[in-house]
Amino acid sequence: MIKHHPKLELLQSFVDGDLPASLAAGIAIHADMCAFCQQKIGHLTEQVAEASFEQDLSPKSAVIDISPEISAMSFDEIIDQITASNDVEPAAVVHEERLITFKGMEYTLPNTLRNMELGKTAQIGKLSRARLNLGEGEIHTNLLHIGPGGSIPEHTHKGFELTLLLAGTFADEQGEYVAGDFIMLDKRHQHQPATEHGCLCYTVANDALHFTQGINKLLNPIGAFIY
Amino acid sequence: MQLVHSELPSHRTDATSSIMTYATSSNMTNKIDHPQLCQWLKSIAVDRDKQAFTEVFSFFAPKIKRIAQSKINSEALAAEVVQDTMSNVWRKAHLFDDSKGAATTWVYTIMRNVTFDLLRKMKANKEDNLSDDIWPLAESLNTEEEVFSDHIQSRNLQGIIDTLPENQQQVVKGFYFMEMSQEQLAVHLDLPLGTIKSRLRLALGKLKLKLGDHHD
Ligand SMILES: [Zn+2]
Repeated sequence: MIKHHPKLELLQSFVDGDLPASLAAGIAIHADMCAFCQQKIGHLTEQVAEASFEQDLSPKSAVIDISPEISAMSFDEIIDQITASNDVEPAAVVHEERLITFKGMEYTLPNTLRNMELGKTAQIGKLSRARLNLGEGEIHTNLLHIGPGGSIPEHTHKGFELTLLLAGTFADEQGEYVAGDFIMLDKRHQHQPATEHGCLCYTVANDALHFTQGINKLLNPIGAFIY
Repeated sequence: MQLVHSELPSHRTDATSSIMTYATSSNMTNKIDHPQLCQWLKSIAVDRDKQAFTEVFSFFAPKIKRIAQSKINSEALAAEVVQDTMSNVWRKAHLFDDSKGAATTWVYTIMRNVTFDLLRKMKANKEDNLSDDIWPLAESLNTEEEVFSDHIQSRNLQGIIDTLPENQQQVVKGFYFMEMSQEQLAVHLDLPLGTIKSRLRLALGKLKLKLGDHHD
């Protein structure tokens, strides 16, 4: 059962279109698996849409408001141009499933990720990751696979870290996590996820991890590797 | 303001309505003539009605322009958002389904997506147009089918559940897909706990029969 959901503020920013693609995609994937958040998003979208379009603007004054030097074309010209086209969007587009394999385990990627540019897979021990090249600067997005019996050394975060479990399960001090769990951590948290049978995660983080325990400090390069 | 997921105010629930039916008409103001907007979109879809499109354009375009301008801070790009959004409305009007949500919600989704892709082009220098993958237009509104269609493992089960009587479907879907407890379902559906339990038992008996014994 999914226990971890995005907070309302995050859902609101998602609906407003104000999140970076990496986080927006994470919420979209979660909502595909979580009927509750899906419903909330529907509700928020309806509200913001209503609020956006209820301002009382009479068409005439608005057209004057949009003066010729603002737009190269008048509204009438735009209407003519648009309606001159007979193009109609096909009703149903069937998308091919995009698969990814880590260590011989094959996964179907969520539809949300199907057009994202995927980097090569790199591996350290039981960890494999493939970067999703979204061009968001210090925000890094990855598919992270942890093989059976694997774990991530205990660490904290300088920034935020989203771990969205796509398949399999893992556990940390807080308990067990299942596919769909949306785990947003910030620098106050520490965690050490371990997986018995292996799992695939979608991760977004805005800074390298900071490893907290003895020998793990030596593993700091792993932070840059994972996130 | 500290808001925690579990403390969110839940939207109004009508005790008689199915938990699966999302009340799209709640909280609508009187300021927007929703039936009229729907009618225009239908005329565009069915008759390629330019006059109807002009009406829709006159209603939305100035508002879209204003919103886009405040987000992008460029009048030229705001004009681009208006053009792209309205051109999508023209090309996709047949995909609008008024049983799934308001016309304003549908146009908002298009506008938000166009703006998102444009901002991404500017900020991340990416032309990957991800918005339709993140907020799929055809599936962006809640219907029972769409909410659950991505549960790959649930696909077979879904078909079988659909053959159950309506009142048993509600309980099974709430319990398994929405992961509500029997107590939560009782409150949500405004039914005695005993009724929930007996419906669930009945439904499970039928499901077991249809799925075969290897499923439990
Ligand atoms: Zn959720």
